Amino acid sequence: MARIKLEHVSMRFGDFYAVRDINLDINNGEYVTILGPSGCGKTTLIKVISGIWTPTEGKVFVDGMDVTNIPLEDRDVGYVFQNIALFPHMTLKENVAYSPRVKDQGDEAMESLSTEYLSLVNMLSRAGMFPKEISGGEQQKVAIARALASGSKMLMLDEPLSALDARVRVELRYELRRLVKKLGITVLHITHDQEEAMSVSDRIVLMRYGSVAEVGTPLELYRHPRSVFAANFVGETNLLECTVSDKTKNGKTRVKLRGGQEVRTSKTDFKVGDPVVISVRPEHVYTANDGLRAEVRSVVFMGTYWRVRTMADSRDYVDFNVPADEEVPKEGDVVYLVFNKKAVVVFARPQGGIEEEIKLE
Amino acid sequence: MSLLSRIDELSGSSKVRRAWFAFACAVFVIVIAVPSIFVVTHLFTDWDLVDLVLNNEGIRNTVVSAVANSFSIALIVTVIDILVGLPMAWIMVRKNFKGKKWLDTLLDMPLAFPTAVIGISVVMFWISPEGINIPGLGLSLSPYMLVILLHIIFTYPYMVRSLSAILEQIEPNYETAAMTLGASRWTAVRTITIPLFRAGLATGFILCFARSLSETGGTYIALTMMGVQTSFFTGPSFISFLKSDESWYTSDEMMGAQILISVIMIVLALILLVVVRKIIAKFRFPMNKVWPDLGRKVSRGALPKAKDFLTILFLIVVVLLPTFYIFLYLTQPIPTMDYGQLFGSIGTSFLVAGIAVAIDIIIGVPMAMYIARHREGKLGQLLDGLVNVPLIIPTTALGFSLFLFWGSLGLDSSFDLLLVILGHISFTYPLVVRNLIGSIEEVDPAYEEVSMTLGAKPFQAFRKVLFPIIKSAVIAGGILAFTRSLGETGATTSISDTVNTVPIYITHLVEDGLYTEAAMCSIVLILICFIIMFGLRAVTGRRSKRDA
Amino acid sequence: MPEIVLDNLCKSFDGVVAANGLSLTIADGEYVCILGPTGAGKTTCMRMVCGLTHPDSGKVYLDGKDVTEDSVDSRNATMLSQTYALFPHLNVYENVMFAPRIKGWPEDSSKQIVRSMLHMVHLEQKAEWRPDELSGGQQQRIALARALASGSKVLLLDEPLRALDARLRINLRKELRSLAKEMNLTCIHVTHDQDEALEMADKIAVIRNGRIIQFGTPRDVFENPATPFVANFVGRSNTLVGKVVSNGDVTVVETDSGLRMSARGSDLPVGSEAVVTVKTGFTKLVKLIADTDPEVFATGVVERVLYEGVTITVEVGVEGLGLISASLPNRKYDDYSVGDRVGITWVPSKASVFPMPPEGLEEEMRLD
Repeated sequence: MARIKLEHVSMRFGDFYAVRDINLDINNGEYVTILGPSGCGKTTLIKVISGIWTPTEGKVFVDGMDVTNIPLEDRDVGYVFQNIALFPHMTLKENVAYSPRVKDQGDEAMESLSTEYLSLVNMLSRAGMFPKEISGGEQQKVAIARALASGSKMLMLDEPLSALDARVRVELRYELRRLVKKLGITVLHITHDQEEAMSVSDRIVLMRYGSVAEVGTPLELYRHPRSVFAANFVGETNLLECTVSDKTKNGKTRVKLRGGQEVRTSKTDFKVGDPVVISVRPEHVYTANDGLRAEVRSVVFMGTYWRVRTMADSRDYVDFNVPADEEVPKEGDVVYLVFNKKAVVVFARPQGGIEEEIKLE
Repeated sequence: MSLLSRIDELSGSSKVRRAWFAFACAVFVIVIAVPSIFVVTHLFTDWDLVDLVLNNEGIRNTVVSAVANSFSIALIVTVIDILVGLPMAWIMVRKNFKGKKWLDTLLDMPLAFPTAVIGISVVMFWISPEGINIPGLGLSLSPYMLVILLHIIFTYPYMVRSLSAILEQIEPNYETAAMTLGASRWTAVRTITIPLFRAGLATGFILCFARSLSETGGTYIALTMMGVQTSFFTGPSFISFLKSDESWYTSDEMMGAQILISVIMIVLALILLVVVRKIIAKFRFPMNKVWPDLGRKVSRGALPKAKDFLTILFLIVVVLLPTFYIFLYLTQPIPTMDYGQLFGSIGTSFLVAGIAVAIDIIIGVPMAMYIARHREGKLGQLLDGLVNVPLIIPTTALGFSLFLFWGSLGLDSSFDLLLVILGHISFTYPLVVRNLIGSIEEVDPAYEEVSMTLGAKPFQAFRKVLFPIIKSAVIAGGILAFTRSLGETGATTSISDTVNTVPIYITHLVEDGLYTEAAMCSIVLILICFIIMFGLRAVTGRRSKRDA
Repeated sequence: MPEIVLDNLCKSFDGVVAANGLSLTIADGEYVCILGPTGAGKTTCMRMVCGLTHPDSGKVYLDGKDVTEDSVDSRNATMLSQTYALFPHLNVYENVMFAPRIKGWPEDSSKQIVRSMLHMVHLEQKAEWRPDELSGGQQQRIALARALASGSKVLLLDEPLRALDARLRINLRKELRSLAKEMNLTCIHVTHDQDEALEMADKIAVIRNGRIIQFGTPRDVFENPATPFVANFVGRSNTLVGKVVSNGDVTVVETDSGLRMSARGSDLPVGSEAVVTVKTGFTKLVKLIADTDPEVFATGVVERVLYEGVTITVEVGVEGLGLISASLPNRKYDDYSVGDRVGITWVPSKASVFPMPPEGLEEEMRLD
């Protein structure tokens, strides 16, 4: 059983707040990912939650108990590091048996636990090898087994896949989720990779500048982001500056792009004349006989689809996808674009400009 | 400029580069490595002299006990250094606190003091012998104890530095990982960090052991001040004693004794150090059993604090106070002194040290670059091992060996300044090269590679990219070697009777009982050293501040 | 105009083979990605082009000229390193100025080149900054500007985006490629990221065990993989094993559990062991009307549905086959839930079929 609760947690280094006033509830057995660009404070947060650091303000609760000041070794959290940190002087088996050993649980427990968890990650056949003799992906699996063998009901994954090859990363993230769901433990996973976050999580916590920007399921964050930053960070999107031009009684809104083209959107709370930004994802942009005029700038093969980049008359780049089998426009062609109006999300135009709002570093 | 561009051009040819590296290797082997152990050949050519000594029970017993003293003292000193150096390395690497920079500087201080000076200071502090009007602690210590206390001072910084260097390379994440798995800090350190430490332990062990084994000046002075220089010997101090007073033995006996002692010490040192490497590499720490409750108790509360406190206390009481005690002489009336002699000897010392360090750097750089970049290769490993040889040979034996080598080639005593410089190159070269290897290894080879793909010739890549990056390390290594040369007694005396460097001048003063004068000379020397060190640090420090 | 030809290069380090008869021809102005898992020999291949590694045998031609014995600085092939290797003792301006100074170009024109390069990467305002004051993306751009200022027409990129955040990486892909195209450079880009290679390359060379196993356009490599490994490495694939039942325009393969499935035409002998691969993106799921729907190759139970953005991934457990994944458009998210029985199918021409690799399937499919 492990429910994690954070109350007003802050971590300050000198005058600098690495994380500030975080409140968060994580349910038992939930897989939560903390997602954000470099320097957003996500690593600090996981170190505070796991007890590697003590927060300068606020409290951390596990299963209703205040654990803020309990030392690391008594916290009982499994922790997996980005750089793997398998003990280089021990075999895989000794690594996995380390926790039962330091807890003095006896030779039998060491033997049975290490066997159990190594076989869980399909590494039992190499139990006698040393970490440097196996590949990066395999090392990370053993590191997870080692963390699990501590009997902890909470697993902290600190960018566990970043150091691996892209293809291995993809394979391992499916395996990771399968594994922890089978065991039913609570997982907190840190990453800067939004695709990874989408694949593994029940819920994503999007962080920026040391604070929580948005929380939601992958679907919520992708379909209904509440900020321009989230729309752009979680999946690719087209952002177009425009102004609210018309609104019906039941809230259906029309906006006018630069250049005058009008676009229909779903319901909003904006008033006519408000400066806004619309976000529409490439898979919701289609070509038609009439619509936003745009000139094709590049066509890139993406595997199962083509990604077409156009320069629209509204002076925006607009990208859209064409399935691999279908006819695809050529560079220089003129196309007319329409948007799936249900998928158009409208935001107030950020004061510092869009560029500043979606800055990644 | 045109010369530089000529060199740039030449460096493009791999033949030229190979030739330059071969030259650096040749210089190392001919000037440094072979002369260092040449004395061993005399075991065969001068066996009659050695035999003479072996048949003289008096000398033989003295030689044996001197060598035994040297090795047992070195061993005890090194073990103490490890025990006290480990927690200190921990404080330096894993902790952040105010005044860490100061502690860092203080740790290196004893290295800037010539050992002869420390010798005087230590005796004053612990014993307060006759003829010195500054009160010390007045303990009555055996010569054996005192030499141990003395040697701890100048070996301790080497130990802390080697251990810190390795500790810095060990991921702190290993320890954190162990703790998340339920290990207390004490258990984590014992089962994870210490076993990963072996390499550093071996280096530290070798450095300290060799340093203690070879130290001459400080030991001899300390023994002289205690009045036991004719009855208690270490290997090197016995050679000094032989040289200082020729009335005790015949010249044949002297020669035989020197050969014998040098060979024994060289051979034993080499064997011992190979063995130590093997043992430390094989040694499995007792790590299977754990005591969770004990670990927890030891890791928290008062005990870790007490450990840190004792570590700092040891540094202050055993290392720093005895070192700086000599400055109390500044409270005394200044005696009339022979400034001509003093500054003459300072000039000699600086000349020797300066030339030696300059040559070290010039021939050390290609060697260090090769070793740093070819660690895996057979030649790289061989050179890496060979470079250490002069470091672990007692300098007295090394000096004597050099003297025999160049003498056999016809360089007699009229060249003795040159010989002294060659001797100093031998034992400072490893220090410079070690430092360079360390700093080059830390530099990403991509810097040089990228610069070459941008059109830089190899020598341009070196002088425009690599050298500016490692410059501060080169200077640091230079300072270390310079101060080491400045403080050396044993090698200088065994090469020449006439070259009068500062430590030798001070030794003579002590032998004549002129303690105050000796102390004043020491203070002048130390002040000059400090001014140079801080000057260089300020220059490089300003650079690095701009870098940051 | 630079054309790069690698002819039968071999190289081993202490018995570890990094290049094993590696041949490749790269046309002028082409952007080629060398794609492969860690340890496949990608970096060695690139280093042999610029001369940082000397091949044990074989030849390197730049522009038709044999440069195998030429020094690094004379080859005019510039490397962009994974760590950027911006010289820490020089500021941004001096870094970009490095090559013009080394080459002794006139000061005036050098200055102009440096200014225009800094302008091109939008970092003119940071000329006086130190490399360590810049963010990762900015460092990457300065390294690029420095490489471009050397005037080389060959640019070698060693995993140039690896050190950056995932989201930033995606933005910089476009930027990097368009700059290279604008300057008309011939590029060799080493990467382990198949998405990056698909998006950036004119041609992809898939490398494994020191050998190029396929060289072609992204579409070619994706749709007509040369080996089962390529099929799964460049885009995830479902992999199935069975015996060939019939060949010709469509190859029919029967698994041990008796399921029959079709793949594109081949001349594999009937009765031989074969491997069928089909991209998860080309794997289709159908709602079952009856368990014996003739259109489907297999039926199974939905075990998981993951919402991943543009696509959803549905994992279906099939008895006797294990897990089959299908990557579907996100609008289908509401169509599947755990426990549903579904049929699995695909267009036969989208499935590749290979003879069973001699060293076994597991070894063939290893990703690292």
